[in-house]
Amino acid sequence: MARYLLRRMNLFVATSLVLLSVLFIATHHFPVEIRFALTGIHAPTVEQIAQIDEDYRLESNQLGQFIGYLEQRVTGNLGISATSQQPVTDELAAVLPASFELAIVAAVLALLFGIPLGVLASMSKNKITQHTIMTITLTGYSIPVFWLGLTLSLWFGVQLGWLPISGQLNLLYEIEPATGFVLIDTLLSDSPYADSAFIDALQHIILPAVTLAVLPFTVVVRSTRSAIISIMDKTYIKAAEARGLHTSRIVLRHALPNALIPVLKNLGLMLGTFASYAMVVEVIFSWPGVGAWLVSGIYQRDYTVIQGGVLAVALIIIFLSIMIEVLHTAINPLSRKELYAAN
Amino acid sequence: MPQIKIYQEDEIPSPMRRFWHAFSENPFAFAGLWTVICFLLLALFGPLIAPYAPEQQDPHALLLAPSWDAAGTVEHFLGTDDLGRDIFSRLLHGAHLTFGMALGIVLASLALGFIIGSISGMMKGLKSSILSHLLDALLSIPSLLMAILVVAIMGPGLENVFWAVGIALTPQFVRAIHQAIHEELQKEYVTAARLDGANQFQIFWYVIMPNIWDTLIIQTTLGISAAILDIAALGFLNLGAQAPSPEWGAMVSQGMDNLLTAPWTVTIPGIAILCCVLAINLVGDGLRSALSPINN
Repeated sequence: MARYLLRRMNLFVATSLVLLSVLFIATHHFPVEIRFALTGIHAPTVEQIAQIDEDYRLESNQLGQFIGYLEQRVTGNLGISATSQQPVTDELAAVLPASFELAIVAAVLALLFGIPLGVLASMSKNKITQHTIMTITLTGYSIPVFWLGLTLSLWFGVQLGWLPISGQLNLLYEIEPATGFVLIDTLLSDSPYADSAFIDALQHIILPAVTLAVLPFTVVVRSTRSAIISIMDKTYIKAAEARGLHTSRIVLRHALPNALIPVLKNLGLMLGTFASYAMVVEVIFSWPGVGAWLVSGIYQRDYTVIQGGVLAVALIIIFLSIMIEVLHTAINPLSRKELYAAN
Repeated sequence: MPQIKIYQEDEIPSPMRRFWHAFSENPFAFAGLWTVICFLLLALFGPLIAPYAPEQQDPHALLLAPSWDAAGTVEHFLGTDDLGRDIFSRLLHGAHLTFGMALGIVLASLALGFIIGSISGMMKGLKSSILSHLLDALLSIPSLLMAILVVAIMGPGLENVFWAVGIALTPQFVRAIHQAIHEELQKEYVTAARLDGANQFQIFWYVIMPNIWDTLIIQTTLGISAAILDIAALGFLNLGAQAPSPEWGAMVSQGMDNLLTAPWTVTIPGIAILCCVLAINLVGDGLRSALSPINN
């Protein structure tokens, strides 16, 4: 296992290097002066130019420049934002928690409703129930997320007036950011209005989280269903049936844990798509996360923000997909067979 | 005198026939197939049957409701937008931008992905793993981020969408084909062919290829629906097709200003995208379930 983990670590480093070199090449093709693209300083003084040239090794050849670029980026220097003149790292630290909050709530929603519905769809012998569930999931899979977000905010936000449709928290509440997660911050806050602020934050997150949860929900339902259907034919299920166990026990104890392995794998493969969807959802609901920040960065041609955001999001996705792969290997002894055989 | 059947002359249908039979038994998939054919025809001939030009503005019919509404007229079947442009005509003109371009992108990246995927799948050891991990890195950049990078370099525009979505889709094809070939290579019939003295190319083309067509087909349908959604999302974010273009995602974003007074300017293009993607996914689902009994 240690050797396997080491190999995955290698993979992470190698993939990050490839990613950084893609960004390095892209940076050199931005239609602006290279020093501005690298640091975001608009009109550098002579000393600043000398400093930039030294930091990024602009005098040396391409490889030397790449090494300089790597040094700066790996040590956390992402330059300053051209529009706000703040360090990109600080801005990133401010927007990332909001994105994580939204993603976690959406993932919990998707798993909480997706797995039971998937089990139900696989157990049901009724054609109509099966077809209804499959039609709903296929529609959810095909729906354009921006249109879904607009339609939901039009119905529930404007026409019915039930839920707020933009932002994270009503501006009336003044909550000290402690963790960056508004739901936790409002609970931790000692302001007299903390409870109502928490309810307000909860109301704000419902619409974006539901919009974002639709795609993972359909993926979970469909893969749970197909996994359980294929597992129910296995001999060990027949053995459990022959022992006279109750159906619910067979499904929950014997089939479901094995069925969740392919679900995990499918979710890992869809991470990139989820990230794209999350960015669109953040733009629609003015959620102050990394997606909305990046899209406003591209509107303003803020090249340091674009580099920093792309780097951060892609690194997170690489990290998560490798983590999912490791988890998949750890809980699934069968996948280790090929691993050892290959060595 | 009735003929007596002496010999069992049961006709055994070919795999292709059995596959078609299984596919056409599923009514949903069949309906999806017809819808896809309709969309294809619209993408080819839509501009010919559209009653108005896509940019033609009718100052007497601003924000006209669809014809089934009491305020609508049948001249503008699906209503008009805030500049008096006929939404129905714009949808027809946009079909080849959204649907046709998705097909073009998928074909291009499928061809590229097929070549790289089969080379890396047939290779072994370090070379293969370098090639596939390099593409894993690209795969982990979401299509939207890729589009943002492309737009940052080349500026927004419809032709840049081609590059952005194409670069984002290619690794998926490479990965699928690589894995399919890798799995087939482990099987015994490939070893049998190798023992018979087949060289690498023969093993690839005559032994493995016939068994991975289904993966290829399914991956293509998935790719088309993903490409349509990506093109539309980029149009919506104003990173792809620009303002007067009748691309469906761009139409949604142009209708955003009048969302409250004229929701149909947003709803109708959205439903068009939904129908198109849904039909493709239905076909893909039908193909998958029709192909799976043959596999097992």
